Amino acid sequence: MQRRSLLKNLALTVGGLVSLPAWATGWSPDSLGAVSTLAPDDETLLGEIVETFIPETTTPGAKSLKIHQFAMRMIRDCYDQTAQATLQQGLALTEATAGQTINKSFGSGNAAERMAILTSLSASADSAGKAFVDLIKRLTIQGYMNSEFYLVNVEKFNMAPGFYHGCVPVAKLAVTGGK
Amino acid sequence: MSFLNIDSVKERTYDAIVVGSGISGGWAAKELTGKGLRTLVLERGRDVKHITDYPTTMMQPWEFAHLGQLSKEYRDANPVASRCYANREDATHFFIKDAEHPYVQEKPFDWIRGYQVGGKSLMWARGTQRWSEYDFDGPARDGFAVDWPIRYADLAPWYSYVEKFAGISGNKDGIATLPDGEFLPPHEQSCVEKHFTDTMAKQYNGTRPVIIGRCAHLTKPQPIHYQQGRAQCQNRSICQRGCPYGGYFSSNASTLPWAAKTGKMSLRPDSVVHSIIFDEKLGKATGVRVVDAHTKEMTEYYAKIIFVNAACLNTNLILLNSKSNRFQNGLGNDNGLLGKYVAFHNFRTTISAEHEGFQDTTTEGIRPNGSYIPRFRNVVKQETDFLRGYAAGFGSSRATSVDTSAMGEDLKSSLMQPKYGNWRVSSHMMGETIPKESNYVALDSALTDAWGIPQLKISVAYDDNDEKMIVDFHEQMSEMLTVAGFKNIQTHDKPDKAPGLDIHEMGGVRMGKDPKTSLLNKWNQLHACKNVFVTDGACMTSTSTQNPSLTFMAITARAADHAVKELRKGLL
Repeated sequence: MQRRSLLKNLALTVGGLVSLPAWATGWSPDSLGAVSTLAPDDETLLGEIVETFIPETTTPGAKSLKIHQFAMRMIRDCYDQTAQATLQQGLALTEATAGQTINKSFGSGNAAERMAILTSLSASADSAGKAFVDLIKRLTIQGYMNSEFYLVNVEKFNMAPGFYHGCVPVAKLAVTGGK
Repeated sequence: MSFLNIDSVKERTYDAIVVGSGISGGWAAKELTGKGLRTLVLERGRDVKHITDYPTTMMQPWEFAHLGQLSKEYRDANPVASRCYANREDATHFFIKDAEHPYVQEKPFDWIRGYQVGGKSLMWARGTQRWSEYDFDGPARDGFAVDWPIRYADLAPWYSYVEKFAGISGNKDGIATLPDGEFLPPHEQSCVEKHFTDTMAKQYNGTRPVIIGRCAHLTKPQPIHYQQGRAQCQNRSICQRGCPYGGYFSSNASTLPWAAKTGKMSLRPDSVVHSIIFDEKLGKATGVRVVDAHTKEMTEYYAKIIFVNAACLNTNLILLNSKSNRFQNGLGNDNGLLGKYVAFHNFRTTISAEHEGFQDTTTEGIRPNGSYIPRFRNVVKQETDFLRGYAAGFGSSRATSVDTSAMGEDLKSSLMQPKYGNWRVSSHMMGETIPKESNYVALDSALTDAWGIPQLKISVAYDDNDEKMIVDFHEQMSEMLTVAGFKNIQTHDKPDKAPGLDIHEMGGVRMGKDPKTSLLNKWNQLHACKNVFVTDGACMTSTSTQNPSLTFMAITARAADHAVKELRKGLL
């Protein structure tokens, strides 16, 4: 955790006037807490679905970044009741479609089979399927692009850059990896 | 309170009382204590200590459970507070809960409040521009409200005084409509903003300047700022969480600790001011009645002078609720105008556009600021079918985009390589509204809050002048953007966006020359009760277009100086 050292620097910056408040060491990656709005099997399935959207390669996929937990949390806390129903129905539809098309569970399918299932759900006459795929895909992308992994490694996010340059060549940023 | 013994009264007696600890109250506290007055600062909300009480300030974006979004439960319970742009998951603790502080909306008005030590100075947008002579002249020239009893020359030295202490970044632009101040180094404009500035300068012969915004950020701290315990702004632009560096000006980082250092300040949080006590025999105010926010117990505090800085509408509320035999309709309200002529800034509309040029450039770092277009309409003479005009913020960024149509590894590789899109710009209108008698606040005759104080009834709305101004903003900005080569120009008027979200409400206790048509004199004293000073937004005779806080600071410092001089002469 870098926070403590950041704050030590801060204390030095302003002449040692600052004592570290309690929150300076309070946070840990687990402090967001687990979300348990789904049965364990359903949560596992959702993990496989987000992983299908953004799979592990040489870099982390959505499942290892716990994007399914993020999606569950957002649906529970920030969306209305219909989204919760869309989630439940969609998981059931996904598993049912897997049974019909590949004769095994969604999680047992390979990447191509899984993508075909989600694509067919998205195109199916049942609007619940498309609503589910759209919802989870949107949340997966949002969660992934705002994860620590993504912001630090792709966006080169710097919380306190200490500067702003209004007009820099794109080519220069590509070299320095700045943002 | 005859049952209290003399010692208790003595303990509750000060030289000065300041009601409110936000931007103007903090300045009153600093000035009065700095001049040696034992000063009681009353704050209705909880204490917020600089740094210690900024719990989210060092959190990374991914540490927020909802990535900054407000929960549905919170939004449902707090529809008004949720509509404030600054109220996000990282700052909800600085906004009041709607249900705890009810008010009556005779017309829709989103009243945004921050009840805590520091008030809204913790979450403000930090834009700080001086008024000019063209602004103070407005009501007299155009025949609305009443003439301001002061002019730019009266306030100019006080602008300088507060700017040096607060720390204002800006460029010396030499514009008559927006006088230069005591500036720390300016932020940079982006390539596209510079292009817009240059094009406008040529197209309009210098009559439509576009400048970098002036804002209360320490771009290069001076000794006076280090003495406050503040350090250089780190360009985080998450100011609404409270800044551990003191990189932007807030009461908590600046004026209140300065006042505390004098040893003359008593700061009392959780103290809801019910009313001001008027003594008929003495013909002046003697103190305030305070309800403890938690125990609801009422206590009186006494002082020779009282500064009311409760924030515009609450200052109106306190004065309206300060009823006595002499002032049956509120303190100083002999003419019945208290609570009337409330105005605001029209923030209802924005315009956006793209530029296809400058493809090989972008920005780097973070800028807690944007460019700014000072008012150019009706400045020297009346030229439109509406009165006054608008300023506008003007921001830009080089958009990045990702293709999200695929899934699997194709989607991932698209996400991992964001592509630059066009430069995008956005501009928001800040329109002057004309104070009118029909835009008013009053005490509700039946409803009270949890502290037994009448609820405020707010009746404030847009008018035809505002509608015409919106149309003109769209027309003029579209023309300006087109001239500068922008494409995809889109206007975004939101007629449902209620007044209040600008958080620039002003007036109700206006300054003026004549006690028959105004409440305050040129020193911000109530005409009819000279030891009560109102120096927050409530005192404003008109609104002009500038972000108002800097003017409140300057007016407060000026009034405090006058108050202490009068006190020393034995005149208060």
